[in-house]
Amino acid sequence: MKTELLQPLLRREPLEEIAMVALEFGRLHMETGASARGVEEITAQVAAGLGAECADVRVGYASLVISIGIGPDWITRMRKVGPLGVNQRLYHTLRTAAAQIERGGFTVTQARAELDRLVRASPFHPDWLVAPAVGVACAAFGRLLDVDWAGVGPIFAAAALGHIVRRQLALHNLNVFLSATVVAFLASMLCGLAARWTGSQTVARDMIAPVLLLVPGVPSFNAQFDILQGRPTLGSARAVWVVGILVFTTIGVWLAQDLLGQGR
Amino acid sequence: MDFSLLLHHTVCGGLAAAGFGVLFNVESRGLSWCAASGALMLAARTVALERGWSMEAATFVAALAGGIAVQLLPSISCVSRDVLHLVGCIPMVPGAFATKAILGLFAITTLHPTAAGETFLTALDNTLQATFTVGALGTGLAIPTLLLRAHRIK
Repeated sequence: MKTELLQPLLRREPLEEIAMVALEFGRLHMETGASARGVEEITAQVAAGLGAECADVRVGYASLVISIGIGPDWITRMRKVGPLGVNQRLYHTLRTAAAQIERGGFTVTQARAELDRLVRASPFHPDWLVAPAVGVACAAFGRLLDVDWAGVGPIFAAAALGHIVRRQLALHNLNVFLSATVVAFLASMLCGLAARWTGSQTVARDMIAPVLLLVPGVPSFNAQFDILQGRPTLGSARAVWVVGILVFTTIGVWLAQDLLGQGR
Repeated sequence: MDFSLLLHHTVCGGLAAAGFGVLFNVESRGLSWCAASGALMLAARTVALERGWSMEAATFVAALAGGIAVQLLPSISCVSRDVLHLVGCIPMVPGAFATKAILGLFAITTLHPTAAGETFLTALDNTLQATFTVGALGTGLAIPTLLLRAHRIK
């Protein structure tokens, strides 16, 4: 009698662990820039590979929910999602690992150990490489916007500096919208001053190019993907966030242009 | 067809995509693929613009062509197709139009209503161009992913 009463509890523990590991994969995938469908896929793949017979996933802007079942037993668990960014390297390795887990042969403990290993073994490019790369990207953007050659150097320097400042503000946990205004103001102001010094004839356009690093391209695409793929709630939330970042970025540019008397 | 303009835009598209590839933490081995993706899409858009197409139509065709090319590529171990396609589209994101649109809207509030007409029209034009271009990019991105990826899964 006692064993019969304990049986559901004993079966519940693996379900709990399966749900939490699957949610952890989904959370990390979302934080690395995945669309809702990608998050649903990876979470369900991990749950299925670890033995769940059914898995239903709901992806929200700041949380994930999964219901999984084995036979008559079902549980539902929720996990908070952190700030959404873009980390392609971890995104790619998570997808590969989830596909391996889905093929079978992993226990819950092994899957969690694999996840921990992937997170530890996913390095970032060093800042000394990222800052000039961002500078080059924004300078190229500038040329696509028809800025003259005298404006290219200032855009490169201002965007690189803007990236460094943004990283520092993120490390100090400054609100992302305020950070966008501060970075946009500094980058735009520096670029405007330097572009005047180099004799650029397109100063107003020069001042916009270095803030293009702040334009949330990936979230805006994900917003559309989510809406097109039947998740309008999450897609709308992402779109509102994108508009917010654009407005706060523009405030920084506007302040800088106003101080330098540009754009009137 | 202005080939120097095409070359210029192709190189700039490649550089912008590779730069954003670094920012998005794409592996070093995958950066050349990112550059190729961005260069291809900017070249396609420039050709379409040179043929007199609108920015929105040219952007849609470029994103669609890039997406088809990326989805038909053999599997690349260091970067996923989705990301490759997405990074290639980044140089076409109308961030400058969006910024100009919001700056224009700010400017309207400081003008007398009778003098705000031209500023309003410019701001509206930039807003619509940014909105429709983002829509064109997103649709061009989504169609190959939805169709060709589903076909591959079958």
